[in-house]
Amino acid sequence: MSARYGMVIDLDRCTGCGACMMACAAENNVPALPKATNRTGLTPMLVRKVSNGRNGVAQREVFIPILCMHCEQHTPCVSVCPQQAVEVDRATGIVMQMPQRCLGCRYCMTACPYHARYFNWWDPAWPAGTEKSLNPGVAVRMRGVVEKCNMCHARLHAAQEKAAAAGKREIDPADYVPACVEACPTGAIRFGNLADPNDPVTQESHSPEAFRFLARLGTEPKVYYKSKEAWVRALAEAASSTEVQHG
Amino acid sequence: MKFTRRDLLAWSAGAAAGLIVTPIPWKLLDDTSIWSQNWPWIPQPPRGPVETKRSFCTLCPKGCALRVRMAAGWPVGISGAPDNPATRGALCPLAYGAHQLNWHPARLKAVRHRGNTSSWFEASTAFAKASTEGPVVIIDGFPGRSTSQLFQDFASKRAAQYRVVLSPEIRSLRAYEAWAGVPATALGYDLENVRTIVSFGARMLDGWGSPGRFSHLWAEQASGKTDPQLRLIQIEPQLSRTASRAWKWISIRPETDSALAAGIARVLLEQRLVRATGPMPRLSLTEASSLTGLGPDAIHDLAQVLVAEKPTLAIADGDNPAVAALNFVLGSIGTPGGIIQTTKSAMPYLPAESNIDAARAVLIDSSVPWDFDVQTEAEVFRFAAWDGGSSKADWLLPAPGFLEELTDIPSAPGSSVQTYSLTAALTRPAFEVHTAAQFLQNVEPQIGKPEEIIHQRCAQIFKARTGSIYAADVAAVSNCSSPQKLEEAMWAGAIWMNEPLYNSRLLRSLREWPTEAGSATPQNSENTWSPGILPPLSSKLYCESNLCESSERRNA
Amino acid sequence: MASLTMTETHVTDSRWIARGVERISLSRFLLCLAPWFVLLVIGVYAAGLCLFYGLNQTNMDNRFAFGLWIFLDLGIIALGAGAFFTGFLVYILKRSELKPILNTAVVVGFICYSGAVSILMIDVGQPLRAWFTFWHPNTHSMLTEVTFCISCYLLVLSLEYIPILLRNRQLRKLPSFLIFEHQLHKLVPVLAAVGTLLSFFHQGSLGGLYGVLRGRPFAFRDGIFIWPSTFFLFILSAIASGPSFLMLVTATVEKVTGKRLVPPDLFRRLGLISGVLLAVYIAAKSIDTLIWMDFTSPAMGFAPWLSYMHKPFGTPILFAEIVLFGLIPAFLLTYRRTAAKRGWLLSAAAMACMGILLNRFVLTVQTLALPTLSFDEFLTYTPSWQEVASFAGVIAYGVIVYSLSYRYLPLFPAQKGDETHVSGR
Repeated sequence: MSARYGMVIDLDRCTGCGACMMACAAENNVPALPKATNRTGLTPMLVRKVSNGRNGVAQREVFIPILCMHCEQHTPCVSVCPQQAVEVDRATGIVMQMPQRCLGCRYCMTACPYHARYFNWWDPAWPAGTEKSLNPGVAVRMRGVVEKCNMCHARLHAAQEKAAAAGKREIDPADYVPACVEACPTGAIRFGNLADPNDPVTQESHSPEAFRFLARLGTEPKVYYKSKEAWVRALAEAASSTEVQHG
Repeated sequence: MKFTRRDLLAWSAGAAAGLIVTPIPWKLLDDTSIWSQNWPWIPQPPRGPVETKRSFCTLCPKGCALRVRMAAGWPVGISGAPDNPATRGALCPLAYGAHQLNWHPARLKAVRHRGNTSSWFEASTAFAKASTEGPVVIIDGFPGRSTSQLFQDFASKRAAQYRVVLSPEIRSLRAYEAWAGVPATALGYDLENVRTIVSFGARMLDGWGSPGRFSHLWAEQASGKTDPQLRLIQIEPQLSRTASRAWKWISIRPETDSALAAGIARVLLEQRLVRATGPMPRLSLTEASSLTGLGPDAIHDLAQVLVAEKPTLAIADGDNPAVAALNFVLGSIGTPGGIIQTTKSAMPYLPAESNIDAARAVLIDSSVPWDFDVQTEAEVFRFAAWDGGSSKADWLLPAPGFLEELTDIPSAPGSSVQTYSLTAALTRPAFEVHTAAQFLQNVEPQIGKPEEIIHQRCAQIFKARTGSIYAADVAAVSNCSSPQKLEEAMWAGAIWMNEPLYNSRLLRSLREWPTEAGSATPQNSENTWSPGILPPLSSKLYCESNLCESSERRNA
Repeated sequence: MASLTMTETHVTDSRWIARGVERISLSRFLLCLAPWFVLLVIGVYAAGLCLFYGLNQTNMDNRFAFGLWIFLDLGIIALGAGAFFTGFLVYILKRSELKPILNTAVVVGFICYSGAVSILMIDVGQPLRAWFTFWHPNTHSMLTEVTFCISCYLLVLSLEYIPILLRNRQLRKLPSFLIFEHQLHKLVPVLAAVGTLLSFFHQGSLGGLYGVLRGRPFAFRDGIFIWPSTFFLFILSAIASGPSFLMLVTATVEKVTGKRLVPPDLFRRLGLISGVLLAVYIAAKSIDTLIWMDFTSPAMGFAPWLSYMHKPFGTPILFAEIVLFGLIPAFLLTYRRTAAKRGWLLSAAAMACMGILLNRFVLTVQTLALPTLSFDEFLTYTPSWQEVASFAGVIAYGVIVYSLSYRYLPLFPAQKGDETHVSGR
C-alpha cells in the first residue's frame, strides 16, 4: 500500500525553541555558512515568529515551523522543473528534490508559495575536521543547487532496509521519524501516514482546529497546522490575515 | 608533400567534425554531471560502522540524556533519550549541533599562558608553586559530580576554598536556604504537582530546569488550553518566548518583581485568601501598584487567580527573597507542588561571587560558564575546551570537549527528585587535554580518581535501596542483585531516580517580610551554557532566521 | 579582421569595407568603441566572478530567486522579437517594403538572443549541467519549452546571420563561401518560417513561465487550452514592441552615422504595425487583468488589491503599463498626424518599448516581492554590481557586434553605393 506521509504541527505547543531547525540541519548535513543571512541561509525547517499585530499587553506571538508542505496536487515545484529534478514519490507522497539532477535555475523557488526551497549560494563548508561529524546517510549538496525538506528520506531508506533485512514488506512506523519530529521537545510536530485513516495524525488533520496554509491554492499540502486560537487559524489565508492585522 | 595553412585548416575542420561521431565529446559531457557532484572541495561524511550510544550532555549542569549516533567512531548525530524520565527525550536546540563543537576553530588545543603557547608541565609547576605560596580557590560550575567531590577533597587537604557558580535555578532557591536550613542545592521545585505557576521572569519554556522537564508538563497540561490544568502566568516587561506561550502574560516595569510579590502577598493576607497570617509586607498596595505600573485591581485579580487553582508556586529569575516570601505566604514550602527538599546529602558550598581577594591562585573548572568573570589579583587557571575570547585568565588549559570526558551527572538544578547517571568518554581528541581533577591530582596525588568516587556512589545507591533504575526497562534499586550490576547498568546509560522526599520537614516560619534585595541576578535563566562558543549550526537560530533577534548571541 | 591587429600608424581596413560605402577611419571607429570594450571587459570580469565564486556574488536570495538578469532577459528577448516578426512579415506575408530593415532585424535578434543565453548561463547555479534539460526534459515545464525553443532559435538566427556575414567584401572572394551563402540564402524563407514557429512558442512560454505559477497568485492566470493567458499576451506584446525597437535601433544608427539608411516611409510602416498590435495587446491585457481581478485571484483566496498595497507597486504601476506606456504610444504610433512626425514616432516607439519592459519588470519582480503567506514581508532587492556589470557587458557586446556588422557587412541595401547623405552634414 502506498503511503502519504504528512504532518500535523500543533502551533499551541510550539515554543519556538528552534530544536527542529538545529536537528534538521545536523541530520541533513546542512552547512552553516558565515555569510548566510535570513535571506540566503539554508533552513529546510524554519521556525517563523508571527505577531498578532497588536501592541502592548494585547500583543501575542505564535511560532510557525515552515517546511516543504509536500503538495499532493498541482505540486507547484514539480511541474516547473525543466529537467525532472523534482518529483512526487507516488509510494510515499514525499516531494523529492534530486540535487544531482538540479541545474540551479531556481524556477521552483519562484514557484513555491511557502518559500520552503533554498538555494546553495555558497560551496558547502564546515570548519576543518567537522566533516567527521557529518551524517554518513546524507550526501552533502554542492553549490548552485536547490534543496528542501525531503522528510528525512535517509531515515525512510534506513527503515526500509531494516524491514527488508527482517523479511518484511512494510516498515515499522516507529523506525521512520523525521529529525524535526524527533527533536521537538513539546511534541508539537507529529508525523504520520495520511493515507491510513487510523493513524492519529490523519485523525488530527480532520480536527476543526486543523488547517493548512494557502489551502485555496488547491495544491493539497500534506503539512497541517493546528491551533485553538482563532487569530492563528486566520493566518492560513492571505486575505483574512490582513483583516486581522488591520482590524 | 607540402603542408599548407589551408591544409591545416581543412584538417582541423575535418577532425572537429569527425570527433563529434566518436564517443569522446559525449562521454566528456556526461562526465560533467559526475564532476559537478563530486568536486574535491565538497566535504564527505565519514564512512564506517554506525552504532548508537548513550551519553549525557555536559555542556551545562542540566546534564540532558543523549543518544549519540556514531559513525566510524565519530559522533555524527545527537538526539534525546525518550526513556529517560528526567529529560523525556527533550534537548535544548544547541545540543543538536553540539557534536560539531569539538571541531570548532576556537577549540583550545594547547596550554596558553597570557597569550603565549605554554605546556602542561609549566602550568602544573606554576600551580603547585602557587598552592604552596598562598590560599587557592577552586570554582566549580557543576556541583555534585565526582569531580566536585575531588575538588572538595583537594580543598580540605590543601586548605583551599571550594566555590560554586550557581545556575539561575539554584540561585532562585538561595532565599530559602536560611529559613529551611538546607543548602539550595538540596532544594527543588515540585513542578510535577503544581497547578498554577507564577514566574517572575524565569524563562520557563526556554530551557529552565532541564528542557525536557517543564516543556513536557506544559505541552501536556497547558498548551493552547483556555482553562489549563497547569496555569503558567508569566510576569515580564517584554513579550518573551515564554510569555508569548503562557496562559497569561503580565507586563510590569523592569526590576519591580519584588514590589509585585509584596503587593500580591498584601492582598492575599489582607483578604485572608491564604491560611498564613504573616508576614505583612511593608509596601502598600498603592505603592506596589505605582512601582510596577500595574493597577491595584490587576494585582488584586492576580492574587485571586493565584489561589484559584492550588498548589501555586512562585518562581523567580535568580535570587529574589520577596518572591520566596510570597511562596511562604502561599504555603508552598515543603509541600507537594511547592519547594521541596530533594536530597539529604548535599554538601554545603560557598557561592563563587564571595570575596576572593586574598587568594594566591584561582582554578576555574571547565564547567563554569565562560562569561563568568572573576575579579581578583590572583593567578587564574582556567580550564576550558574552547576559547570564547576576551578571557582575563593567566592560564588557559585545554579541557576535554563534548563527549570526551568520563563523568557522573547529578540531579539537574531545580529538579524535584534526586537523579544520578554516568557517562564514559565516547571520543578522544588528537591533542593533550586534562580535566581539572587530573590536574589537581598531579599536585595532590592523594585525592583519588573520579572513577573511584563513582564506584562508591553506586555502592551507596545500592545500599540505600530507594529509587529506580530507568533504562529500556524500569527496575527498582531494591530488585538489583549486586552493586556491580547496578553500576554496569549505569555505565550503559541508565539513570537512577530517587523517590520524592515529600515528608522531609522544611522550616516553615518567616517572621518578617524580607527587606534586603537578593544577590545580583545577572543573567536570564537561558544562560547556563558553559562553553564560550556556540555550535556553528546555531547560526540557523541566530543568523539565518528571525527567530532569535538577540544580538549578543549572534557571534556563534 | 587581421588588419585590426596591425600596429602601424596607417592602419586601414578599407579592403574589408563594402565598395562604395563611406565609413569613418578605423582609428576613430576603434576610439568610439573603446568605452564599450572597457564595459565588456568589466562585464566579463563580473560574470567570471559569478561563475568562479558562485551566485553569492549577486544580491539574489531565496525569496528573490530571480532578479535583474531574468527581468532583463525577458525584456531583451521581447525586444528581439522584431527579428522573427520582420522575417515573418517579409517572407511569409510577402511585405517586401520591410526588406530594408531585415538584416538589422536579424543582427539585433542575434544579439538579443545570444546575450540572453549567455546571461542565463551565468544565472544558473550549475552551468555545466545545462544540457540536462535536453537529456531529461520535463515536458510539462514552460522552462523546458523556453530552453528548447531559444536554443533552436538561436541556431536559426545564427544561420540567418551567416549569409549576411559571408557577404563581406573579403569573404565573398572565397568561392566556396559564396556558394554556401547562395545556398543558405535560399533557405532563408524556410528559416524564417521555422523561426516564427519557434519564437511564437518561446515568447509565449516566457509568458507562461509566470502564468503557470499557481503558488504566486499575482502571476497565476487561468489557461486557454494548456497555456495560461500570459502565454498569448507575451507573444502579442513581443511582436508589438519588436518593430518599435527596430525603429529605435535604426534611428539611433542613422543618428550616429549621420546617414539616412532606410526610406522614411519604413518608419511609419513599422510604427503602424507596432501601434496596431500594441492596441490589440492592451485590449487583451485589460481583459486579462479584469478576469484576474474578478475571478482568478479571488478564487485563490487573494483579494486583488492585496497585490497593489505595497509601495512602489501600487495601482499607478498598472496605470502606467496600460495607459501611459500602452494606449498613449499606440495612439501616437497609429494616428496619422503624430506618426508623420519623426520625433513623435520615435518617442512613441520608445514608450512602447518601455511599456513592454515595465510589463516584464512587474511580472518578474513584483511577483517575487509580494507576500504569499499572510505573515510574509514585502521584500525588496537591489542588484549587486556584479549583476549590473554582467548585464552592461551584454549591452556592450551588443553595441560592439552591431557596430562591427554595420561597418563590415552590408546591413542596409541602400548602401550599395547610392546612399543618401543626410543634409547638413
